[in-house]
Amino acid sequence: MSENPIPLRMNFWSGLGVAALAVLLLAWVIPHYGGRGFAVGMHPRTLATLGAWVMLGCALALALLSAIALMRQRLPFFRLPEFGHLWHQTWPFLFVLFFIVLVDRFPLTWVAPFMIGSLLLLLGERRWHVVLLTAVIPAIGLYGLTAHLMRIGVV
Amino acid sequence: MIGFDAIVSSFAAALHYESIAIILGGVLLGYIVGVIPGLNRAVAIAIAIPLTFYMSAYAAIAFLIGLSKGTAAGSAVSAILLNTPGEPSSAATCLDGFPMARAGKPRKALKVGLLASVVGDLLATLLLIAVAIPFASVALKFGPYELAAILIFALVFIAGMAGGSFLKGLAAGGMGVILGTVGLDPETGAARLTFGYAELMEGVPILPLVIGTLALAEMFVQLDEYRRNKGASVIKLSHDKADDLSFKEFKATLPTVFKSTGIGAFVGALPGLGPSVGAFMAYGLAKRSAKDPDSFGKGNPNGIAAAEAADNAVIPASYIPLFGLGIPGSVSAALLVGAFMIHGIQVGPLMLRDHPEMLFTLFSGMIVASLLMLAVGWYGLRIFAKVTSVPPHIVIPVVIFLCLAGIQVQGYGTFGLVTVFAFAIFGYFLKKFDYSFVTFLVAFIVTPMLEMNLRQAVILSGGDIAILLNRPIALAFVVFTALMALHLSWSGYRQWRQKRLKASGN
Repeated sequence: MSENPIPLRMNFWSGLGVAALAVLLLAWVIPHYGGRGFAVGMHPRTLATLGAWVMLGCALALALLSAIALMRQRLPFFRLPEFGHLWHQTWPFLFVLFFIVLVDRFPLTWVAPFMIGSLLLLLGERRWHVVLLTAVIPAIGLYGLTAHLMRIGVV
Repeated sequence: MIGFDAIVSSFAAALHYESIAIILGGVLLGYIVGVIPGLNRAVAIAIAIPLTFYMSAYAAIAFLIGLSKGTAAGSAVSAILLNTPGEPSSAATCLDGFPMARAGKPRKALKVGLLASVVGDLLATLLLIAVAIPFASVALKFGPYELAAILIFALVFIAGMAGGSFLKGLAAGGMGVILGTVGLDPETGAARLTFGYAELMEGVPILPLVIGTLALAEMFVQLDEYRRNKGASVIKLSHDKADDLSFKEFKATLPTVFKSTGIGAFVGALPGLGPSVGAFMAYGLAKRSAKDPDSFGKGNPNGIAAAEAADNAVIPASYIPLFGLGIPGSVSAALLVGAFMIHGIQVGPLMLRDHPEMLFTLFSGMIVASLLMLAVGWYGLRIFAKVTSVPPHIVIPVVIFLCLAGIQVQGYGTFGLVTVFAFAIFGYFLKKFDYSFVTFLVAFIVTPMLEMNLRQAVILSGGDIAILLNRPIALAFVVFTALMALHLSWSGYRQWRQKRLKASGN
């Protein structure tokens, strides 16, 4: 029995991704945005730099070990995921992002029933009373909470 | 040393009706969240933190501790009736809970689980009280060398023990450290990694970070899994008298409960291991030491008792390093640190010096929470059994709404919403690629303390590392850290080699 190729590929690509991020941090982000100025003892950038080096070392080791395992088993390094699977993983992010854009323009108490209702419909709920109640009750709750906080002067 | 009067007044404060109402609210909410599969403790605490903004510091923490305890006990209900653990740590409860419920004894199984949970939780809380105060008294004598060494040791330990790969754990810790340094440098005032955003001057706001990485990311994972896990059926509770738990039956499980509580408390006190490890270790030991090990997995009440007692004992025990040393050993402990920070209290040994009355009232509140857990679980059994039928497609949209509402109500505005979304993507990838979330969060939380102590140590020593020879505790922890890193790397390498040999042998 050979090792499961999926975690190996995931480890390899995630290792490479984290290593690339660490290189970006070490080469550009931390030197430019990590803080400047004279410090007694420890520079403001020291700990972030140390964290990035730890990330880089571990991620490179992970990618290297996974690459060796993949090569020994003659498994491909790259396999395109099915479009359907990819879409299934992506649409919830796009859905929430769309409503975040809406919340930026309209009050959440207006947007919330549409957000909850449409997600319920997308997930297959067809009983109208369930959709209506689930969509409206949390929004009313938020409205009540906001009104209460405004009355006591917190918001 | 704490006086008798202080203990009495802390209990009096915890037994005040307002305090009881708040703890009851937390336990009740925790129970409901625990019962609903897919919602876990971390999600519940992350979403509940905004609710506690307008409470006093004690009320907020007591509410969150009640919630944390409630989820641990509630998660057994769905494990037993649905064969789907409300929390990953209740997976061990499924092994005997579901077969017992399917055999027509669901109420008996639930009551064994509840009583084991309460006993485990109560005993571990008493242990916390007994151990944390002497621990904190010693820790107060530590200087920056010792604290910096202990914090680095804790991070490496958590990265190694939190499950999964040690390399991924350390990498996640590195990410946490980098994010923990964002904001104004406390010594020089230099803006670090703020990219010109005033909102980042005080650091990455903790609420969008925890709501994004824990709650919203979890909902994205749930949405992904939803299409695979549709249509689970719930076992209904009967009114059959034979399904009631007798005292004799409960008494028979007590030795297992006590042993499992010990295991859970030990595992909980070690940062990073978490309740799943405790529950499975206790279950394994109960099975091995049983006269009839073959009955385990087929509905043995001792299996439920072992898993639940250990699972619930881990939670209070995980607060030992938190209150004793200021090191959060689990995600829920790290979230509590966040809640303390929001209320302007530094959790750890300094609490014993600066807020002793609050510390003792919290401990008293934890005992009250354990007892309320019993009452809520006992009398709400049928209601909670019904809650398990709430389908995930209703829970997910409501939780997504609560995530956004929590950010909006706190006035974070568009910046907060974008931050929460960015952290949700980050958290999703951490979960999908199995990078240790607990190491990331603990590293993020302890980085300011680590940096302060490291900086003080560097200034005091003048950069001379030989000063460690005069600080035996710090030196011991530096050596432990190096040995731990070597051991974990070596065992990881051996596992990798064994897998490789197995693969080439086939």
